[in-house]
Amino acid sequence: MTRKNKNIAIIGGGHNGLICGSYLAKAGFKVDLYEARSDIGGMASTRELADGYTVPGAAHLLHQIDSGIQKSLKLKQHGLSYAVSGLKTVSINPKGNALIFDDDNISGDDITLREQDQYKEFKTTMKKLSGFFKKTYQSRPPRLGSEDRKDLTSLMSLGWNLRTMGQDSMRNMLKFIAINIHDVLNEYFEHEHIKGSIALDALLGNRLGPRTNNSVITYLHQLTGDLNGVQGSYAIPNGGMSSYTQALQNAAESAGVTVHLNSPIKQIDLDDENKVKGLILENGETVQADIVVSGIDPRSTFMCLVGPKYLEPGIVHKISNIRMRGNTSKLHLALSGLPVFKGVEPDDLGHRIINAPTMKYLELAHDFTKYGQYSDELPMEIIIPSIHDDTLAPKGRHVLSAIVNNTAYHLKDGWDDSKPKILENCLNQLENMAPGIKKLIVHAELLSPVDFENEYGITGGHWHHGELTFDQFLMLRPISGMAQYTSPIESLYLCGAGAHPGGGLMGLAGRNAANEIISRES
Amino acid sequence: MLQQDHYKQSVYKTPFHERTSELNILNEWTRWKDYTVSTNYFRTDLEYFSVRNTTGVIDYTPMVKQKITGPDSAEFVNRFFTRDMNKIAVGRVGYVVWCDEQGQVLDDGTVFHIRENEYWLLCVERQLDNLGIAAIGFDVKIEEITDEVACLGVQGPTSCSILKAMGFEGIEHLKPFDIKHYDFQGQEIMISRTGFSGDLGYEVCMVNEVALNFWDDLFDKGEIYGIHPFGLDALDLVRIEAGLLVPGQDFMVAEDAIRPGSTRSPFELGLSWLVDLSKPVFNGRQALLEEKKRGSRYTFVKLNVNGNKPAEGSYLYNQSGKKIGNVTSAMFSPSAKANIAFASLHDPWKKGKDKIVAEIYYQKDLEWNKVMEEATIVTKPFFDPDRKRTTPAELY
Repeated sequence: MTRKNKNIAIIGGGHNGLICGSYLAKAGFKVDLYEARSDIGGMASTRELADGYTVPGAAHLLHQIDSGIQKSLKLKQHGLSYAVSGLKTVSINPKGNALIFDDDNISGDDITLREQDQYKEFKTTMKKLSGFFKKTYQSRPPRLGSEDRKDLTSLMSLGWNLRTMGQDSMRNMLKFIAINIHDVLNEYFEHEHIKGSIALDALLGNRLGPRTNNSVITYLHQLTGDLNGVQGSYAIPNGGMSSYTQALQNAAESAGVTVHLNSPIKQIDLDDENKVKGLILENGETVQADIVVSGIDPRSTFMCLVGPKYLEPGIVHKISNIRMRGNTSKLHLALSGLPVFKGVEPDDLGHRIINAPTMKYLELAHDFTKYGQYSDELPMEIIIPSIHDDTLAPKGRHVLSAIVNNTAYHLKDGWDDSKPKILENCLNQLENMAPGIKKLIVHAELLSPVDFENEYGITGGHWHHGELTFDQFLMLRPISGMAQYTSPIESLYLCGAGAHPGGGLMGLAGRNAANEIISRES
Repeated sequence: MLQQDHYKQSVYKTPFHERTSELNILNEWTRWKDYTVSTNYFRTDLEYFSVRNTTGVIDYTPMVKQKITGPDSAEFVNRFFTRDMNKIAVGRVGYVVWCDEQGQVLDDGTVFHIRENEYWLLCVERQLDNLGIAAIGFDVKIEEITDEVACLGVQGPTSCSILKAMGFEGIEHLKPFDIKHYDFQGQEIMISRTGFSGDLGYEVCMVNEVALNFWDDLFDKGEIYGIHPFGLDALDLVRIEAGLLVPGQDFMVAEDAIRPGSTRSPFELGLSWLVDLSKPVFNGRQALLEEKKRGSRYTFVKLNVNGNKPAEGSYLYNQSGKKIGNVTSAMFSPSAKANIAFASLHDPWKKGKDKIVAEIYYQKDLEWNKVMEEATIVTKPFFDPDRKRTTPAELY
């Protein structure tokens, strides 16, 4: 059988599914993509908040988009443009002293020249370290204990990449990789506000505190991608977050992918020998496919769509132990006017505003998470995208989108009772940061990890389809023995954030999976 | 239920302890899964001969017993064990092994398909953890019932006659691996034609309350049939003659192994007949398929060793003095009149080409001697009388 007459069905129209589909279609496969929701994009899409107001449904900043993918899929030609890029980070604190991070420069909040130098030195070191990640992210991870030549060479190149980082970087890598961001930042800085602001980057979207080991990996992970050649840079696309995935959809369709919306999958159809036969849709329709690629999270893929009965118990055990308890909520506000944040210049209001005044603040918020409770002081990442894109709100009006961390999936009192209280807490917090904002609110909503689970079908509502920690990293992602986008079910592959290299909008999981499928199935 | 006040003792007594301790005139005991059971009662060789010539009774209550019930039981056991469990009908018993994800044997045992949606697994190592992990996604209930069920092995040529004399009608019509339930003093007991002796024999499972009465009745009716208790030492002799493996002796339990090469797959234990690779899924299948392609590391063999010195723990060499394996169990078999052993062979041994030479050490008046004895491979069990299979069973 040649590529041309092999049918591939992709489950999930998120960015990874679209990217994977595009590469596969370009390679000559016949690709059909099935999306459960009525629009494409999954976690990178827009959502109607109230009449005339739209907000990013989940992800709200473009970040870490792999430039290789952007080029080879010609995303610009397919409609991707930035309303603004190279966003600064404005870190506020209760005293009204904002700290401004602009690439490698830092200013505000009584920063000294020495601290500016310290920050530059810190960023240089960390960028070098994330360079190691970047290389390993570009290809499939090797299998351990395998005697396959490709595995051995990629294992060797992993070691080679580490060795050729230079002696200092290699030492730093070995020293930092398993420890926590709290200890690392204390080595570089005294300024509490700087430390808190940087630490947030390691924690956002994860279930970690600054003192939790592994938080250096998550920090380096988010530094890995670049945007327009600037490492760790942020942008907002024109026309809302959907326009990114819309561009991906255009690219996919022009490559020959057929996209089916409103097509939730009930089951991956297997034959008597547990080989992939196709898909069974919720509406009962069956679809024949030679290859199935799942862009949804590994636990949903194997526990719901395949079913534990069709997998070896050892695999089921590992899959059900993937740590993927979501910790992140989204706060959406429709505003009748622009708020004023204490200490934030009007020109900086359109940038990335974060609330992470100290590491202690973050650690205390995490302490609540550990015990299934929530703090009334939650770390946030806030943007007002309507400043850059007037299609998002009626004229003169605005929308605010905030990622709120440390809202655990499992709350002792349950989300039904806790949600109104957490929303109220968030609004009070915002009122402190931007006095008068409450009066501007036309509509407010909070989406919890449970909402994300229901809305996007991600087990535990975890944005990254599984914590990005050392034990769920590289060849251990999603589980040991299943690391090369393959699965124990013949012709079933994974292409989502649950596979290497993990979450974010970079799309490398989708592209790497496509490469693996092309080399195995041609 | 665990026994009350168990913490005051370091071991549990089986429900037969009152009788076994009276008969155990040597006072030799072994700790077996937290129970104490007789190692020897009066003389190992005479206990052995009672199993071979009349009837021996062993208290094997400590055997770990797990009960699997629920609507998905059949599917569950079929995915847990390597063989095709659909072939084990209700009222039948099957010998089974099961593996970890790497296709290495965790344990072996027997599965009793007691009724629709109810299976019992009897084995040496506790399996609640493994069974529980495998139960994710299945509607099954798994319980350990070791302490609730008392078990006796009644093994030997006259065993059927004794049970018949006790009033168990139709017992002689049980085929090997058949199960039948009987009433005993108002309680249901389960008799199966199974055992560890390689001879005609039965295993009886009962609730603890009737254990002593059953023992008394058994020994009362059995007296004229030459009934005797036998201990673990004699059991070890009969099971080697019968060609049966013991985990922890003939192979390393995969979970307990520290070194990766020290475990064995079913293929490496001569148990290919228990592996059905045509089943779409069971634990270890993927790994076993790969082993099939790649070839196994070890070969399990039964040996007939020259001379009369048991080759216990012997190293095995080929004709050019290269080490090719180890003996795992060995004895001089009185019934086969042969010096027999189980062994695990590895490279550079070549089937049909290489000789097997055992390095045997033995003591004479405290002085160690060594002999090198050639061994030949035996394919059949060392002891395999027709009466093991004959149905209806022979009565005396």
